Amino acid sequence: MSVTSSPSETETTTHPLQEFADRVAEVVGGSAAITFDTVKITVGSEDWVSAHTAARDDLDLVFFSWLSAVDWANEVEAGDALSDEVEERIELLTTVADLTEGHRVTFSTDLTKDSPSIASLVGVYAGANWHEREAGEMFGIEFVGHPNPVHIYLPESFIGNPLRKSYPLLSREVKPWPGDVDVEPMPDSDEPSTENPGA
Amino acid sequence: MTTDQDYVRHLSDAQVSVELETQDMTLNIGPQHPSTHGVLRLVAHVDGERCYDVKPVIGYMHRGYEKLSEVRTYPQITALINRIDWVSGYANEIPFIVAAEKLMEIEVPERAQYIRLILTEMARISSHLIFMASYPLELGAATPLFFALRDRERILDLIESVTGGRFHPNFNRIGGVRPNAGAGTTQKKVFQDLPAGFLAQTRDAMDIVLASVDELETLVAGNEIILARTKGIGVLPPEVAAAYGVSGPNLRASGVKFDLRKIEDYLPYDKFEFDIPVGKNGDCWDRWWVRLTEIRQSARIIQQAIDSIPSGALQAKVPKIIKVPKGETYVRAENPKGEMGYYLVSDGGLGPYRLKIRSASFSNISILPWILEGALVPDLIAIMGSLDFVLGDVDR
Repeated sequence: MSVTSSPSETETTTHPLQEFADRVAEVVGGSAAITFDTVKITVGSEDWVSAHTAARDDLDLVFFSWLSAVDWANEVEAGDALSDEVEERIELLTTVADLTEGHRVTFSTDLTKDSPSIASLVGVYAGANWHEREAGEMFGIEFVGHPNPVHIYLPESFIGNPLRKSYPLLSREVKPWPGDVDVEPMPDSDEPSTENPGA
Repeated sequence: MTTDQDYVRHLSDAQVSVELETQDMTLNIGPQHPSTHGVLRLVAHVDGERCYDVKPVIGYMHRGYEKLSEVRTYPQITALINRIDWVSGYANEIPFIVAAEKLMEIEVPERAQYIRLILTEMARISSHLIFMASYPLELGAATPLFFALRDRERILDLIESVTGGRFHPNFNRIGGVRPNAGAGTTQKKVFQDLPAGFLAQTRDAMDIVLASVDELETLVAGNEIILARTKGIGVLPPEVAAAYGVSGPNLRASGVKFDLRKIEDYLPYDKFEFDIPVGKNGDCWDRWWVRLTEIRQSARIIQQAIDSIPSGALQAKVPKIIKVPKGETYVRAENPKGEMGYYLVSDGGLGPYRLKIRSASFSNISILPWILEGALVPDLIAIMGSLDFVLGDVDR
């Protein structure tokens, strides 16, 4: 019922997943963080394939859930800009899971924005094939060693990487989104404040 | 034994070990084809009666929801994600809403959680009933379609009575649910709850569904042609399924006893008793059987939830303007088609900075080139249909 104003979890007590996160970090060789019940392991891009191989073979994380990326950019063409300045980079993410205990791990690595390139995971998880094709066309990432690096959703002639923050949303350029009015207070509202009264 | 008989036996034992040099043919299926459940195109190389090197071509329905989410506010996004898997639109909303609530650290009232759970299971039943209707039809048995659609209509009517929508309920709000009774009124503070009689009607409907599932089982399991066309066809071993990210009933049919409802805490499933049906062989028949059995389990969950639903508020106290604090999380849920999840990256604004949509069907059909390699052409439709995918869920 209560809404706390704290933006992140305060780590006064040990998170129940902490032990598991530490074990994964030790086995795959990365640093662990737990954000809102999600175990996130950050590894170097050169360890990307070896970390996943270790996760599959030594930690029994055999289920390949997804692979995608986040474009961390200080200037955006569509959507809201970040509130704080960040280091410009492409963050590549995967999530793998086991099929017994219910553990899942999100792996993260940073790629340079100019020519993001990383070894393909298809040899470790066959399911990475389509996900890498999608991330490849949407973010312009090159997956070295991918057996079939062609577009999956977009036509082959498509130019640009739509999920990059530098890619404008053309329909929005032509016409402003009418939903913008929703952020104004309602005319008959008796609670004009935008602040949470329950906080 | 005479020499002649020996000679005849010798000929019959002889095996042809010569590779027949046949001409390769390319077979194109779709994008418009009744058995592809949308706009899927398959390009198969056919050698005699067998397919090799099957290439699914997708993207005919790519709507760019991940990009659109970056320019929408959180309440607007539920309207988009309803349309990912339109056969079970309601279930799509849950992981997204739960992810946002997790970042906002909102505790949803128990009654609202129960209502979410009941409607999610109803969405599961309606999705599986579509499969019960379409799959035998693809194999040439038309009758189950009428039985399954008749009962699906019953479920959709009930969902509509609460949410106002049949396919795209757009019913969840961050912090709870909002029944349509009293919606659109200018009066303030109208008491909103489930429509009168909804719980009793749903309970009765579940009895009818259970009886109808028995009927469906008799119709299909007693059909020798369907048995011959599905048993031992399209076998998917569990380790291959896991590596490709195949989830949900398709994974359980391969013998993996894994259900996110038993593992994740996105809805209070731990309060109810239900079994996880598991297949033995991972063939088309097991995939049909697992879904049929899941309908029974869902009806069982719904009846337990109706019997124990607590009273109380339907909505937690949330700000009028939803701003999700900075943070990122991945929330996954057991949707009718498999694992559906959202990786939500928020910067504290009105909309997500990035929303990765993990849909079940995308990974489920990425298995097609593997599972169709060397399959007979007549089995192609049987195998494809048994995976139960929806193209909206593939393309997003």
